[in-house]
Order: sequence, then C-alpha cells, then structure tokens
Amino acid sequence: MCAFVSINGVGLNDLLERASQLSDKLHSLSTSLTNDLDSHFPPVGRVMMPRPSMCHTSSLQVPNDKDQALKVPEDELLSLARSLLLAWSDPLALLSSEASSLAHPERNTIDSKTKELQENINSLGAGLEHMDSTSDNLSSLPFYTNSLGQDKTSRLVNFHFLLSCFRRDSSHKIDSFSSKFSAAGQPRRDLRCVREDMLSKCKTGPLFFVSKV
Amino acid sequence: TMRNSGAMLILTFIAILILQAAGVSPPGKPRLTSCRSPEKETFTCWWEPGGDGGLPTTYALYYHLENSETVYECPDYRTAGENSCFFNKNDTSLWVNYNITVVASNALGKNISDPVEVDVVYIVQPNTPEHVTAVVVHDEQGPFVRVSWEKPRTADTRSGWITLLYQLRVKQEKDKEWEEYNAGMQKYYNVFSLHPDKEYMVQVRCKPDHGFWSEWTQTTYVKMPDYITRERSLWIMITIFFVFIVVILTWTLNVKRNSVKLCLLPAVPGPKIKGFDKQLLKSGKSEEVFNTLVIQGFPPTTDYDNLLVEYLEVFDNEEQELVLDGKDLSEDCMKSKSPSDIDSGRGSCDSHTLLLEKCMDGREGSGSNQHQYSQHGETRWASTESSESQGPEPGSPDSANGRGKTWPVVFSSPQPQPHHHYPVGAAKPAYHSVPEILNHLSPHAMSSNYHQLNHQDILQQERRFSKPACRHSQSYNQFNLDGIDTSAPGVAPSPSLEYVEVQRVNPENMLLLRPLSDPNREPEGSDCTREDYSKVKEVTSNNILLLQRDMSHQCVDDYSQADQCTTQQPPHPCKPAVHQSNSGMPQEAIRVMGNGYVDSTVLMPSY
Repeated sequence: MCAFVSINGVGLNDLLERASQLSDKLHSLSTSLTNDLDSHFPPVGRVMMPRPSMCHTSSLQVPNDKDQALKVPEDELLSLARSLLLAWSDPLALLSSEASSLAHPERNTIDSKTKELQENINSLGAGLEHMDSTSDNLSSLPFYTNSLGQDKTSRLVNFHFLLSCFRRDSSHKIDSFSSKFSAAGQPRRDLRCVREDMLSKCKTGPLFFVSKV
Repeated sequence: TMRNSGAMLILTFIAILILQAAGVSPPGKPRLTSCRSPEKETFTCWWEPGGDGGLPTTYALYYHLENSETVYECPDYRTAGENSCFFNKNDTSLWVNYNITVVASNALGKNISDPVEVDVVYIVQPNTPEHVTAVVVHDEQGPFVRVSWEKPRTADTRSGWITLLYQLRVKQEKDKEWEEYNAGMQKYYNVFSLHPDKEYMVQVRCKPDHGFWSEWTQTTYVKMPDYITRERSLWIMITIFFVFIVVILTWTLNVKRNSVKLCLLPAVPGPKIKGFDKQLLKSGKSEEVFNTLVIQGFPPTTDYDNLLVEYLEVFDNEEQELVLDGKDLSEDCMKSKSPSDIDSGRGSCDSHTLLLEKCMDGREGSGSNQHQYSQHGETRWASTESSESQGPEPGSPDSANGRGKTWPVVFSSPQPQPHHHYPVGAAKPAYHSVPEILNHLSPHAMSSNYHQLNHQDILQQERRFSKPACRHSQSYNQFNLDGIDTSAPGVAPSPSLEYVEVQRVNPENMLLLRPLSDPNREPEGSDCTREDYSKVKEVTSNNILLLQRDMSHQCVDDYSQADQCTTQQPPHPCKPAVHQSNSGMPQEAIRVMGNGYVDSTVLMPSY
C-alpha cells in the first residue's frame, strides 16, 4: 500500500525529516544531562538506583531487535512511538519542576536542558499526531509519581533514574526512525534513502519505532 | 567424626600453605574491558585475565538480562578471539541491559569479575569504511582530489537500521596535524587547496548517529600533479608585464636623457653680461666680479645738445613790433629766432582759453604785440624749421603744405624780410587786432601777394576758435579797412578763429591757404583734402584776399574774389569774379590781416 501523505501542506518527507532531527536533539540532550548528573553522583546512588525494569514505560511491548522491528507494521510502529511520547509528558513536567532544586552543582544547566527536552518532546508528539490521527491504538502508561522523594539524595537518584528511563525510551526507541514503507512489490527503502537519494520515488511511512521488550 | 573434620581442615590449611609456598594460587580477578556492537545486531565483550595463579585457568562469562534472573553463559568464546565473548543476532537484544560477569577458575579456585551493565544500543561502534580511493580530478579551476569510500560491510544502512556519518582527514607526510573534513552521510568528498607536486595521506572513519567513532582506515596515498595555479600564473604575467614596461621606460629615458635633464633640471640662467666671465663667479672674488661689471664708457657723456631737436623759441617782447610788410616776416622771425633755436615750450598753441584771453586783451587795444596778436591766437609762435614761402627751402614747401607745422612768428620781428614781398605798405609792422590791423591798413593797392578780405566778412562771420593760431599761414591777409568801418557794430568782440591751412607755397612766395574746416575738402590723398587750409588765390587790387576754397577741380571757390587766379596750383579755373560770400556763406571765414596773415577762423559773411 503506497500512500502519499501530505499533512497541512507539508510533505511527509519534510515531516519525517523534522521528526528525525527532533529525536536527534532529544538524544543528545538526554545524553549530556546524564553526563552532567554522573559527574557528581554519589556512589551510594548507584547502589540505590532502581533497575531499568522499574521504568513506568517498561510494560510497553516493543520490538527489541532488527528483525522484529522490520516485521512490525508501520502503523503499529507509529502508535508505539506516539504512546511513548505521550507517556513522558507528565514525568518530564515533574523533572522540569524539580531540576532547579536538585542537590547538584550543575543544577542550572540541568534545569535548562530539561526544559528544552520538554519542548522537543511536545513538538515531536504533535508532529507524530498529525501523521497518525487514530488515537485508539495508544497504550496508556500512567505515571503516578508526584514527587521524586523526600531527601535530597533520593530525589537526586530518582531524577537520575527517571532521566535514564527517558533516555532509553526517547533516544533509541523513538530515535531509530526509518521508513520501511514500500509500495506493494517495491523494495524496501528507508527514510535515509529518501534523504540520500532525493530523486527516488520511494515513499515514506510512519516512524519506525523500536523499543525494548 | 569430629576428629576427622578437624583433621581434614588442618590438612587443607596445610595444603594451602604448602601450595602458596609453592607459588600457585587461585586466579586473579578478571575484568571486562569492553563490549562493542558493530552493527547494532551483534556484540562482543572482551575481558582481561587477572592472573592465572600459576595454574591453568579457565574463564567463563555469564550474563543475565535485567528483568530476569536466568543466567546464561556466553555462547561463543572463539569467534572474537581470546578472552572474548561473541553474542550473535539471536542472543542480542536491544534496549535491554545485560548484566555480564566473567569467572576465572583454576585448580585452586575461581574468581569473579565485577558485573557490568551493558545496553547494546549504547555500545555501537561500526567497522571502518572500506575501499578508500583518492584520485586527482583535473578541473579548469585547478586539480583537486576526490576521495571516495564504501560503508563498512556489516552496517545495514540500506534499511535505515543504522545511520553512519563519515569523516576523513588529510595531511602530508611531514605535517603534524591532520586536516579533518566531515563528509556527512555521503561516501565521497572533494578536497581542494592541495599543494601541487605533493603527496598526501588520506584516512576515513565513520560513526553511527549515536555511538562511537570507528577506527581510521588504512592510509591511502595520493600525489598532486605539478601545476601552476591560475592565480600564480596571473601574478607571473603581471610581473612580466610590469618588468617589460619598466624596461621600456628606462630605455626611453636613457635615449632622451638630455631632454629629461632639461625638463627635470632646468638650466639655471647664468649671468649673461657681455664681456663678463663666468669663471669670475666661480673664483669667488667679489671685487673682480664687480670690477668687470663696470663698463668703460657708461653712462655715455656725449654732447646732449646734439641729441635734441632744435627748436626755435620765440619770445614775445613788448618792444617788438609786428612788421606788417611784404617781407616774409615769418622768415625774418625765423631768422631772428634762429639764434635761439630752442623751443622752450612756453605757452601752448592749443590753448583755447589762451586764445580767447588774448583776443579779449587785444580788443582792449594795446600796442603790445601780445595783445594784438592774440586774435590770431597765440602770442608766441613756435617756429618750425621750415621756411615760409621762400621756395624750396629745405623742408619749407613741405612744411607749408603739411599740417601740424608751426609757423615762425611773423609778427615778432621788426626786421624787414627782403625776400618777403608782401606789400605791406602802409601796414605797420605792429600786430594789431583785426580791426586795428585793418585800420592800419592802407587803402593802397597791395601787391598781388597780399590778399585782403573784406573785414566785414570776417567780422560778421561767426568766429570760431579752431586750432591755435600758430598754424596760420604765412600769408598775410589784410582786412579791408572799409569793411571794418562799416561793420563796426558787427564786430564781435571775440571773433572766432578758424584755422587756415596752407596748402602750399607758390613760387611767388605766396601761401596758399585753405580753411581747415573746408567742407569741400577732398579726402586724404588729394591736395584738397589733405589740407584744410584755405588757399589764397590772389590779392585783389582792393586789397582783398581771394581765397580759394578748395584746390582741386572739385573744389568750389566760394568766395574767391579776385579777378583772376593768381595762384598757380589750381588746375581748375577759378571763378574770376567772385563777390565776397554772397553766394553761399562759407562756413569758415577768412580774415585777412594787414600783415599778411590769413586768418580763416573768422566766419563772417562775405559780401
């Protein structure tokens, strides 16, 4: 099934290009944030760090390797991406509010980057929403935590944990954009192929999303 | 049994001691050094042993995923080499933490490394790019190097599973620093600004969008051709051009160096004094210099007298009386004045006021010559070198006929002029005013040399001062005394004077007069026009001066009164009988003075 999708006059290619850029930005931001936090992280925090399975989005079933990812249908991939983005809007708000009061020497930098992160996530979510208007496939991943903790150490540890969860979810899951779309019988081309070969007639599909199991 | 356990324990302890003394020990703690995934589909972990303890040691890697407790052992110890563990596609999961530990064990024991958490997506490091080529491309702008390569074989960029970014670096062998260029996702790059005739080293590497840089490829060598850049060739051409211009200019200057010298260093004018030696200046002796400047014989001290024009200066003395005789008084006067041949310049012949003044004075009547003379103008007469009617004296005819000639004082000399045949007769030599002169005039018949005009004519005519009376002709015009009486009331106190031009002197010593304001005067070049004197034609028996108005055939003799033409010059017939001024009032009147002067300045109607 080939489809030319044009959303609000903006070509699909441009949308995907924009989404890809945003996801790159998200990843770089979260990586630098993690590095900033790690620079002055108490060793005890590492011990206290929750396991990654404790992320609130860990229940979302996503393909965890390339073969699986290639098999997932496009619309499902798009739904996954959108679900994830939706799941992170609240926690990012919490992170943004807590960043300025962290017991960390670089809290100002962390604060500004966190806020920028929040903006990008919202833009990306809005962009993806345009691409797939159906919202019934979205999984609900509620986030019930209202605070990061009582003492400064636990708050710092929880901030770090939450950020790591986000980093994983956004950077590599949402980030791995590729277009597996193909018209019937056409060889698979990816988004990059569109970018590398602008003369190609291949059409792009929804965002390719891979997440952990 | 208690004893047995205790014995065993002691034995074990002793065995350990013995073993330790022998240098063997359980293995040291191994350590995981790195885990890498080249394509985000498989990954490999490496560890380093901690020491084997002197005994053969085996290593085992165990891992478990983050959300399960199942421990797995490394599936492949060989693919990646020694002390490594290779996880193939099936065993690799993304976005999941691997908890990996390595256990070293030997006969004496084992040792476990610290656990390491690994997420495969974070450890992606691709292989190096392959087939790097660098070729020289010749372009019109200049040659450049085009470096091209291929992706690492294992990376699946086609599906977009992995996105690689490339980077290359270039340097010469001798350089210390590499020049790095980012090629993005493309697999070629053009390197410009490489120096000609130099060999360069090129290396390429890649990186996934989130991951580690690959290793640099093996060095590829490329040599730039020897070429001249366009910029350099342009500069060479410009240099040659300017050198050429400079050479041409130099040669031209050399050829024309003299002119250039003149132009740039103009000659300083040296002293150009005749007879002055420039070498004296160089010697520097001022005395010599100045002495040479003194020229003998300067200023000239010649006789001044020879340089000046001789003039006859005429003085009017009260003792002197005008001589109104037939003699050529002018000549007498001239002769009398000849001793003093200098014109002092006293008085001005051209003085209008003087003329009037004199006339006024003359009217009052006096015996002085000055006063009497005033009517005719000046009291003084400047004498010219020319004689009067003597004939072809040197210069005299010319002077008589020419203008601007001053006439010798006629009246100032009482000496009789033998050659002057003016029949003065009863005319006294004294110069009187017109009426007086006329009174003095005798009714005797005068000689033909005298021409007499009727006084009436003169007196009644408007007088007019034209030129100084010094231009009056030498002819004496006598006024008719009769006319004077009758025309007493008509006598104007100040008769107007008019110049009479002497045209020429006839052989009979007669001045041929012609009034200056003769309207019938012909233009220059003819006898008539050149002279605006009235010409005296004849003197009648009645002592009437016959004047001819114009001399040429075109001249009209208005007031010639004579019976005959006594003058010689007129080729045209003079009218024999001409009454005085009845026909056509002449503009200028001619007075005949008793002493022979013709004064044509008086305009009076001629009867």
